[in-house]
Formats: sequence, structure tokens, C-alpha cells
Amino acid sequence: MLRSRKLLYIVLSAGHIAELRAAVGEDGLITGQSQLQTYECDGLTNFRVLPGAVVLPRTAQQVQAVVRVCARHKIPFVSRGAGTGLSGGALPAAGGIVISLARMNRILEVDFANRFVVVEPGVINAHVTQRVAQQGYFYAPDPSSQSVCTIGGNVAENSGGAHCLKYGFTVTHVLALDVVLPSGELVQLGSPTLDAPGYDLPGVFVGSEGTLGVATRITLRIVKRPEVVQTLLAAFDSVQAAGQTVSDIIAARMLPSALEIMDALAIQAAEAAVHAHYPVCKGLLLVELDGPGSEVETLMREVQQLCRNNGAWEVRVAQSEQERALVWKGRKAAFAAVGRISPNYIVQDGVIPRTALPHLLTEIDSMASAASLRVANVFHAGDGNLHPLVLYDAAVAGEEEKALDLSYRILRLCVDHGGSITGEHGVGKEKQEALGYMFSEPDLDTMQLVRCAFDPENIANPDKVFPRPRLCAEKPGPYTPHPLETAGIAEIF
Amino acid sequence: MSSPATLTLEQGLTHLASVVGPEHAHLRGETIVAAPGDKQQIAEILRFAQTNGLAVTPTGAATKLGWGNPVAPDIQLSLARLHSLHEHAWQDMTCTVEAGCSWAAMQSELARHGQMVALDPLWPECATVGGIVASNDSGALRLKFGGLRDLIIGMTVVLADGTIAKTGGKVVKNVAGYDLHKLMTGSFGTLAVIAEVNFRLHPVEEHARTWTVIAHDDAHQDAAVFVEPLRALMDSQMTPSCVQLRTSKQECALDIRIAAVPECLDEYAARIQGTFGKFAVTEAGEAVWQARQRLFDRSDVVVLKVSLLPSEVCPVSSELQQIAAADGLDIYAVAHANGLMTVALNSAPEAAIALIKRLRARIAGFGGSVIALQIPDELRGWVNVWGPNSGALALMREIKRRFDPGRILNPGRFVGNI
Repeated sequence: MLRSRKLLYIVLSAGHIAELRAAVGEDGLITGQSQLQTYECDGLTNFRVLPGAVVLPRTAQQVQAVVRVCARHKIPFVSRGAGTGLSGGALPAAGGIVISLARMNRILEVDFANRFVVVEPGVINAHVTQRVAQQGYFYAPDPSSQSVCTIGGNVAENSGGAHCLKYGFTVTHVLALDVVLPSGELVQLGSPTLDAPGYDLPGVFVGSEGTLGVATRITLRIVKRPEVVQTLLAAFDSVQAAGQTVSDIIAARMLPSALEIMDALAIQAAEAAVHAHYPVCKGLLLVELDGPGSEVETLMREVQQLCRNNGAWEVRVAQSEQERALVWKGRKAAFAAVGRISPNYIVQDGVIPRTALPHLLTEIDSMASAASLRVANVFHAGDGNLHPLVLYDAAVAGEEEKALDLSYRILRLCVDHGGSITGEHGVGKEKQEALGYMFSEPDLDTMQLVRCAFDPENIANPDKVFPRPRLCAEKPGPYTPHPLETAGIAEIF
Repeated sequence: MSSPATLTLEQGLTHLASVVGPEHAHLRGETIVAAPGDKQQIAEILRFAQTNGLAVTPTGAATKLGWGNPVAPDIQLSLARLHSLHEHAWQDMTCTVEAGCSWAAMQSELARHGQMVALDPLWPECATVGGIVASNDSGALRLKFGGLRDLIIGMTVVLADGTIAKTGGKVVKNVAGYDLHKLMTGSFGTLAVIAEVNFRLHPVEEHARTWTVIAHDDAHQDAAVFVEPLRALMDSQMTPSCVQLRTSKQECALDIRIAAVPECLDEYAARIQGTFGKFAVTEAGEAVWQARQRLFDRSDVVVLKVSLLPSEVCPVSSELQQIAAADGLDIYAVAHANGLMTVALNSAPEAAIALIKRLRARIAGFGGSVIALQIPDELRGWVNVWGPNSGALALMREIKRRFDPGRILNPGRFVGNI
């Protein structure tokens, strides 16, 4: 929940604006109030902050020039892709600068022999696969927003998606990055070859939510498309039975490319939105297997048997690519579809050890009942990543607060079960406080060492991720003014 | 003792013995060897070292202690007593293991539930989890399952100032906070002491077969003959667990390992035969996968870790064969299809230096690297074992400075003398 934290508000001077204009040109700079409003939030729309300026660089050099302006004057900047993030990672710093990477959207190189592509950060996730599909390849991370979200944003959030169970997350697929550090220096992290000598900087940069710099060029691994993909839908009388089937599939030593569960509310919403022809049931399991044809067929027979053993009363394998696409369309539309059955909703992103699933679902049910709220559940069951959707009506006084409270209590429950507060959406603005529930102060202080090595002035996406504002030279004691205050370009409200 | 001058070796030993118990601390030459029994004792030792400016080298089984620049530690911090598999949540396919546990001991425990950490590092019988992680070792299985960065989901580390910190967690999917465990992996003990590691697990590959393709014709022993069929194999929809090319002056063989449900393995055999039609394809035993480790058998040879683009595996192997033939050198190479190659060179020092320079020049264009893992002492002053400095070295140094301002953890061992 957004706390009553004192807000540091930056006041950009005419001089700052002139420097930014020199960096990106007139057509790369937005300062008009109405246009700035486009950038006041990302996919987490209940947090809104107006930036002081938005820049739209076309090259890494322009990004450098902008960041140098920021570094020189200690002005906070937030980089932004398509703004689809769900944790407020691209929420502007009040009055600060937003660096939109939308114009850096070229696929620079495709190397099939070495199975990588080189892209700019503004390239849309799905466009990478489109570019290499004809040669039988694909880019594996597939967040539900993949038709609009950008690789730069995926890098910031270490995005996953339904297929990361088998294929891994964004970090698995990033070989190298060119990064503009918060000092304005451009460095290459990693290499297209494995194990570049030195620390694994791509490993720590990916998923750092824009707090360590701006990626301007990214080398991504691409994967050979499997010979056969089969998708199965199984209908159960309870989410728990679907969950048990997932455990049985894993115990049978299979690694499906996706294992998804939706509960009755989520099915109802998806049906209303895209008519995916899902069976009407309490727990719907979606299993996708891929690989060589004969292997997939053998394993799919085994999966069908496991479903029936757990009481599935309908087991259906998609018979065509269109049918398969429709199954996925329903699943990927589930978040937005919930808008059909509730005026407002909160999407959460907790993770638990898979075996805790039945217990946790029961607890969520009773917490929801106690709060007189409905919770729809959609989850990547294979890796224990839950997306509880807390439904509410903002028009009812006090209901939003109740819904937020419930969603945060669900996250705490995930941590109490040995899990995490976020599996793929990131901490951003939304879950800063929850991060402090998951990690102790020494853990957070250790992360801060990395932050300070990259960004000693704390200007790259400041006041995100970590539970409280920390300055790199911070010592416990009485209030010390932020350097921005001292410099006279910021005020505390 | 490096500093301060007032602290004698005996005083240091006495103090550390009081921390870990007298039976777990002793002198080896000018070094105090101390084996802590828990994380708090690691923290105590590091605080003592930091206060007194003493260099610390964390060690497991010391199998790779010679990798990187030499360090003369004041304290050798042995993780030998921290050797338990703490937790194996087999239904969640994760485990938590202490750093001093040997790889084989961990795997044999995990195998009781048909699971494994999907990595085949060097010397698994003795090498420890901590040492393998700190040196980012990996083997042929990396082609299918990825490296340690893809298998580690969390870690507990002890910083130079004694802070005990957790990173990641015990679930596979987790983007909360920075992935410090990725920074620690391959950091050669220069940032913190790894105390515990959480892994994601995979099922043991129950049904697997290995085939060896041999360039049998005298005229075709050149690795270049495998360029096309290897490309076809990797571009196919087969998903081999391991693929390695073994080359020397006399030999050129390609090994392929595939795991699948038993009823499909014959089909793979036929597909492989089809891909490598003109070569002799025979079924082989698992022993061929020891080839990389055998390159380290002789301690007097130079062993290099060469990182290539996958498409360069055959061309570079072929060039090494040609250099061996032209210059009369004994060069053995084992290259995995992901581009990681191990090269053993038995030659006069001048020839070794020349080869390292030549390889570095050859692969610089595509961002490859050559690290001299095993190198005779007399060559050390002549070769930078890590290769040319990266453009990100300043950033790496700053990270080191933040984590270990007193430079007590393996000072000088890593890239750029970090």
C-alpha cells in the first residue's frame, strides 16, 4: 500500500529542459502537461505521479546524453518501455525525468548459427519471435502482455510467463547487455559467449527494475521451436484436485512446458471475455507438453491418466493450432477479463512452494470470506506462482482499502509458507514494504551495496524496490537532507 | 601475518581456535587453517580478519585453489565442517545444501528421490558445492540444463564485515530484490563466503544413451568435417543433454548424449545416424563424458577455458589441430556444443604463451575469452590468466570495494587483480 511517505518533488529548471532538448532534440522531448499525463503511471494504475519531462531517445548516445544531464544535476530518472508493468516500476519520480525507450525498437542482428538476436530495448517481446519464427525459432519468455510489452521492460522485471517452467526467465535468455550506467557511462555487461571473465553483471542487472541503469542493446538467446506442442485441458471438481495432478505430473519426472490452473471465477471471467470454450468447473488444469513427436505423445497419454486418477471428468487435448491458441487466449486474457465480472480488481503475484498450494488456497478462501470479498485465482501451478485477483468495487466506501489489505495479507501468507512476494511482476512501488517482510535488514543492506556500486547518487528509479529510502553514504542518526534538497532543485512535501 | 605488525601468527591462531575450537584450527606454514562449524563462526572469523587486515581464502576441497591469480592467505577458511544437505523438498524439487558438502554426496542424497542438481562439474567426488559455485564450474550437461546461474535459486553468504545475508529464496520463480546469488556465482570468493546454496532440481535422466561419431577416414580427421552435421544436429528438434567434440592431432570424435522415454531412444539413434550419415556412429559408454576432466590429469600441463560462439567450436578445434601438427605440440581439446572448450597443452613455456596470445587474438572479434585455469608457476608472470580487462572492470572493482572495502577476501585473485 502506498504509505504516507514524504515525497521528494523535483523542480526542473529552464536550464535543465534546455540541456535535455540538446540531448534528444525538440521532437524527443515532452514537457506539456497533458502529454506528460500519458506517462504518469504504468499498468498499476492506482499509483500516479506526474514527471517533469519525458525524453524519447533514438540512440544509446542520446540515452547517455540524457543520463549525463541527470547525473550532473542529480535528477532522478525512470526508464520506461510499454508501461505494462504491474508493480509500478515505471512510475515516474515526482517531477523527474522519464526515459521512454519506445523509439529504440530495432532488431539489430539475428544469428541463427549461434541462436541469438540483438535488439534495442523498445522491441516488443512478440516481435522477436515473429522475426525468427520462419526459421523455426522462438523467444521463450512469454509474459501475458507479450504482444505489447518491450524487451527492455522484460529485462528490468526479469519477466517470466507461462512457459518459463521449462524454458526459464528473461535472465536465462540474456547473454549480454549494453547499459548506460547512472553516471552516463556506457558499458557492456556479459558477452554473446558464455562465462565472460568477471562478475556476472547481466545476472544482477536483469530484474533490477531499472535501478541500476538503462539497457540500450540486449543480446537474447533464441530457442528452436519444438517439433510438437500439445495442450490439454482437464476439468476438476476442485482446485485442490487440479493441484494434486500437478504434483503427480512432477513426481512422474516430467517437465511440461506449462502447467496452469484457473478457478471457477477466473474461468467465468475468461469465458465472458474471449469464449475460450473452457469446461465449467471448479478447477481447470492446462498442461502443455512439447518436444519430439513420439515423446510428447507417450507422455501426454501418461498425463491424461494422471488427470483421470485425480477425478478429472473432462480431459481434452486441443486438436488444432487454432484450438490451442484459443486455450491460451483465454488464459492470457484472464487478468483483464476479470474486469467483466468486477468493477475493480487487484492482481497479486505471490509464489509458494508447490506443495503448499492446497493449504494456501484454503486459507485464501477463508480470508476472502472473512473480508466479504471475492478472489479469483489464476496460477502458474508448475512453479507455484499464484496470481490471486482480489475483486472489489471502488465505488463502495472502504472496499478498496479492504481489498488492498487482503492482497498484502495474501503476500505475507506466501512468505510465511516459504515463498516470495513476487514471481514475475517485480517489487516496484507496490510491494516495497512487503520486501521488508521477506528479507531482513542485513539482506536488504547487502542488496544496497550493489545499488550503491552502480548508482551512488540514487538517481536511477529511486524510491522503488527497497522498503525505505536509503542513501549510499547513509548512517543512522538525525535527518540528513537529500542532496537534491541541498542543491535546491527539490522540495520535501 | 600481513598486518598489523603487532599480531603474531600464534596470537591469531589462539583467537581463531577460541572461535572454532582448538581441534579445528591449526597452522600450515604461515597460514592459519580454521574450520568454522556454523555461519556465526564464519562471521566471527571474518570480523577478526577485517579488524586485523588479514587475507582470507575460503576453501572447500581445494581442487581449484590454483585457478586465478595466486593468493597467500593469512587465514584459510575451510568449509569442510559445513557439509550437510539441510533440506530436500523433493516434491517441490528444491534443496538447501551447505557449502562444504561434496557434489557427489549431495547428488547421492538427492538421487534417493530420483532427483539431481543438473550439473556435472569437475571432480564431483571431492569438489564441494561452495567451490564449484565460487568458480562457476560446469560440464557437458549445461547444454540442456543451463549453468549454475540457472540452477541456483538462493544463497546464504557471509560478508567481509561478518554480516550474514540471504538472497533469493527456496522457490524457483522469484524476482524479489536483487539476485545477489548470481553475483556470487563465479566470483572466486572475492565478495563473500558462500555458506549455503539453494538449488532447483531436475529428475535424474533415467534413460539416456550416448553415441560417438568418429571421423574415421585419415583424410577427414579434421574437426572442420563436423561443421555441417553439428550445425544440423543443433538446428534439429532433438534435444541432446550433452554434445562434445574431442580433438587432438590423432583424434576427432563427437559424442552425443540423449535422454528420453525408452520407447523413443531407437528413433533418436536413427535420426543421429541420418544426420552423420557418412561417419561411423557407434554407441558409447558414459566414460566418454570424463574426457574434459582427464585434461587436468597432469598437473604440469597448461589447461585453458576457452569461451567461443557455438558456430566456432569446429573451426577453432580444427585450427588447434593444425597448430598442433605444424608446431609439433600436444594439444587436446574438449569442446561442448554451447561453445565452452577446455584445452590442455603440453609444451615448452614459450609455446604455451604464444598459443594463449594467438587464441585470444583469434576470438576477440566475437567477444570470446581464454582463461588459463591451470598454469605452471613459471608462466604466471608472463600471462594474464584472466585475459584482457573488460570494459566493465571499473564497475566490478566498485562492487568489490563496496562488499569488501578492506580487501580481505581472496585479494588479487580475480580479474583485474580484484
